[in-house]
Amino acid sequence: MIVKEWCMYCGECAGVCPRGLIEAREINLVFDEENCKDCQICINCCPVRALEKEE
Amino acid sequence: MIETDVLVIGAGPAGSSAAKHAALNGAKVLMIEKKSEIGAPKRCAEGVSKDGLIQLGVEPSSRWITSEIDGVRLVSPGGTDVWLTRDTVKLPEMGYVVERKVFDKFMAMDAARAGADIMVKTLARGLERKGGHIIVKAECMGEEFEIKAKVIIGADGPESRVGRWGGLKTTVKPKDMESGAQFEMVGVEMENPNALEFYFGSVAPGGYAWVFPKGKDIANVGLAVISTLTEKSAYEHLVEFAKNCPTTKNATAVELNIGGDPVGGILKKISTDNLLVVGDAAGMVNPLTGGGIISGMQGGVIAGEIAAAAIKEGDVSEERFAEYDERCQKELGSSFNKYMKARNYLESLSDDELDSIAKTFNESEFERISTTELLKVLVNVSPKALLKLGKLF
Ligand SMILES: Cc1cc2nc3c(=O)[nH]c(=O)nc-3n(C[C@H](O)[C@H](O)[C@H](O)COP(=O)(O)OP(=O)(O)OC[C@H]3O[C@@H](n4cnc5c(N)ncnc54)[C@H](O)[C@@H]3O)c2cc1C
Ligand code: SF4
Ligand code: SF4
Repeated sequence: MIVKEWCMYCGECAGVCPRGLIEAREINLVFDEENCKDCQICINCCPVRALEKEE
Repeated sequence: MIETDVLVIGAGPAGSSAAKHAALNGAKVLMIEKKSEIGAPKRCAEGVSKDGLIQLGVEPSSRWITSEIDGVRLVSPGGTDVWLTRDTVKLPEMGYVVERKVFDKFMAMDAARAGADIMVKTLARGLERKGGHIIVKAECMGEEFEIKAKVIIGADGPESRVGRWGGLKTTVKPKDMESGAQFEMVGVEMENPNALEFYFGSVAPGGYAWVFPKGKDIANVGLAVISTLTEKSAYEHLVEFAKNCPTTKNATAVELNIGGDPVGGILKKISTDNLLVVGDAAGMVNPLTGGGIISGMQGGVIAGEIAAAAIKEGDVSEERFAEYDERCQKELGSSFNKYMKARNYLESLSDDELDSIAKTFNESEFERISTTELLKVLVNVSPKALLKLGKLF
């Protein structure tokens, strides 16, 4: 997952990830990429569209 | 390894309230917070009710009150205003717009004065159960360590993972997560700087937009949307709203805030062996307004009291904590169910229907706004109100 520079670490994406794969730290987001099912729920809910799927 | 009776994870209003009440009831309490500053950055429009604070026994302080509210302005999509002020209707005591950066710290200080320890910049990363306790893996300033506790209170907000680590189903469905964006602005031209303004309709699909005054020309200008109901992000909706709304079009932003607000109601199960979740992490948010400060703190009181009592009794099992689920459902959940119906109804209305309701409302004469009178107006304009809301009144 690409986390854009303007991510504000609000954690909304972590709250909706059905698999609980996102750790929202104070100024960092850590994804458990291995278990990601690419459902894109986190991407679509971000209030500032700061997530992008890595091709 | 650090050892404690109660470990509270997250120092928002719900966590501080839980920590305070667990400590007041005799438990050894540690509260950890991942951020370096409790309360900042805010994810909130900062409105609280006076009644709510009174019920919680929180003394209002000029250090965290930015404005006192005595009216409400509701704006329909076509621009019809409905004013609910002391001059036009008899309103119950309204509330305040607070400064969360100060308010949250005050509540944490209250918890500390009651006896709780606090560690900031300390992140919980996972947990495991061992011999009747929970061991939490934590990290502070690059150092990893473990905290052993009899009871964990997960007060970790909308990004909650603590409940999931403990086996609870706390994931928020996208249809139940309001995605919020807000500017704090200066140069806001409010007709009444003591009134909250709410804007409804397609300006914020699934939610509403707001102007919450924090001074004569200062306000939180924001909105929340349900991401599954719109192609645009909350931020894009906000920029459009702030540019077009007459109250804000000449204003300048001095701060941007964003965040999720779980509005699906209290989760079915909010406790298990050695673990309770509280506040946003447990869905303790009014589904209609999105307000969760007071209800989260009320949940915190219940969590703190029950955690401390269970520890004294030497029983921190799921069965013992059933009382927590029951009290929260009774004291918070039943009113949330009504607000949920009202929210679903509001969501079903078109912009035209909202305009008609606002016009009919203005033509009606009210001494005191009661729910029955409100329902009469709604049924006049849209008969589906009776079907969707009838049982509420
Ligand atoms: C845009 C917006 C506007 C809102 N407006 C209002 C309003 O006007 N009035 C109102 O009443 N409510 C409002 N709300 C809701 C309100 O902000 C929340 O309901 C309230 O903050 C919930 O309190 P809490 O203590 O449960 O969670 P939070 O205040 O979110 O606190 C949770 C804390 O846990 C910490 N944390 C998370 N994970 C960890 C971890 N792993 N380790 C350590 N610490 C962790 C976080 O850093 C955070 O400080 C709004 C919400 C949004 C998004
Ligand atoms: S929802 Fe968006 S802004 Fe918030 S933490 Fe996730 S990626 Fe960052
Ligand atoms: S794409 Fe889906 S599974 Fe992957 S991190 Fe995002 S929400 Fe979680």
